[in-house]
Amino acid sequence: MSRDEKDEEMIYGLTMEQRGDLRDSLAALPETMPPRAVWRRIKEQAEAEGLISSPRSRRPSTWYMGGGLAVAAMLVIVIMPGRFEATDSATEGQGFSVVPEMQASTQAIEVNTLQALMVESRQLESDLRSLPNEPRVVRAGTQATIVELEDRIAAIDYQLSETASQMSQQDKEIFWRERVRLMKSLVQMRYAQAQRTAF
Amino acid sequence: MSKFADIQIDKAIIKRAARGDARAHEILYRAFATPVYSLCLRFTRVPANAEDLVQETFIEIMRSIKNFRGEAAVGSWIRRIAVTKSLMFLRSAWTSRSQALADGFDDMTAGDNLSHGISRHPDDAMDLDAALANLSDVSRSVVWLHDVEGYTHKEIAAFMGKSESFSKSQLSRAYQRLKPMLEVAQQPVSADGAAAQGY
Repeated sequence: MSRDEKDEEMIYGLTMEQRGDLRDSLAALPETMPPRAVWRRIKEQAEAEGLISSPRSRRPSTWYMGGGLAVAAMLVIVIMPGRFEATDSATEGQGFSVVPEMQASTQAIEVNTLQALMVESRQLESDLRSLPNEPRVVRAGTQATIVELEDRIAAIDYQLSETASQMSQQDKEIFWRERVRLMKSLVQMRYAQAQRTAF
Repeated sequence: MSKFADIQIDKAIIKRAARGDARAHEILYRAFATPVYSLCLRFTRVPANAEDLVQETFIEIMRSIKNFRGEAAVGSWIRRIAVTKSLMFLRSAWTSRSQALADGFDDMTAGDNLSHGISRHPDDAMDLDAALANLSDVSRSVVWLHDVEGYTHKEIAAFMGKSESFSKSQLSRAYQRLKPMLEVAQQPVSADGAAAQGY
């Protein structure tokens, strides 16, 4: 034992082992979720103080932005007919896209990213299902973390199911990305739990 | 280790929150509400007070997230806000109770009264939650900040506007009160299931 540790034992009156046990026990104390009404209160206060912008107030700007893109696409077609005629003839028999090349590629990337996240999420759901059932006896800390992760995923699912139609592509991507991240954590936790049960 | 440190948030969500995006703030809330509430409840012991502190913490996050530069983890930043709010609450509560603040964080609260010491009954002594509740507000806060959240005495002293030795002495006092419980926990259990005699 080092001199510092001896000094600490003298000062605190606990052995290093006792302090270690105490720290572990404190850290293992279960956490408590706040009542659901708390977020509603926070949101109301934040809106009253103008700290957050609700999705409702952002929707028109999203709509105008989408409209702007559509107008821009039409202008490109009108101003540069030659280009599109060339494209038209070049792609004859293969279908014709009125979406400018640049925008099409951006949209494709966004859609691909979103689709990739959805696929990854489905894969993780499948991985989760393939794990053995939860053991009857579980560690309180692990279980609390799992419950919390499930709760956060449920909250995201609720957002995606209730307000997805009003969300921009970027919003959807953020939610799906967060869902994938939480699913990964959940799979890791459940996997670790299954391993502990197995041995 | 602090549970705040385990929570990872996508930088894109932080950026959106800084722009006042309600959905991003809701994700932040869902991620951190439980550790923030648990911390506030640990400090105040009264659910209604803890709920108010959660509200104050998240409103403060909304107000100041524009200034969050990402130098520290977002969890550490949020935890710091929650700790500051909780300690401010304790200070104001002490003031309203006409506590002697001449010596700052006087530890003579109801919970610290000798008649409310740690129970000598083994079952109660094993209950760390109850033992913590029997500490003074200040001692309990110092134990929690030091042993669970991992703050140094210097940092705790800064939070409380006191000296490092104040923090150390509070920790030492708390350990003395928790010591009987730790000793009971470490004693072997006898054949009839009772802890060693003496209590």
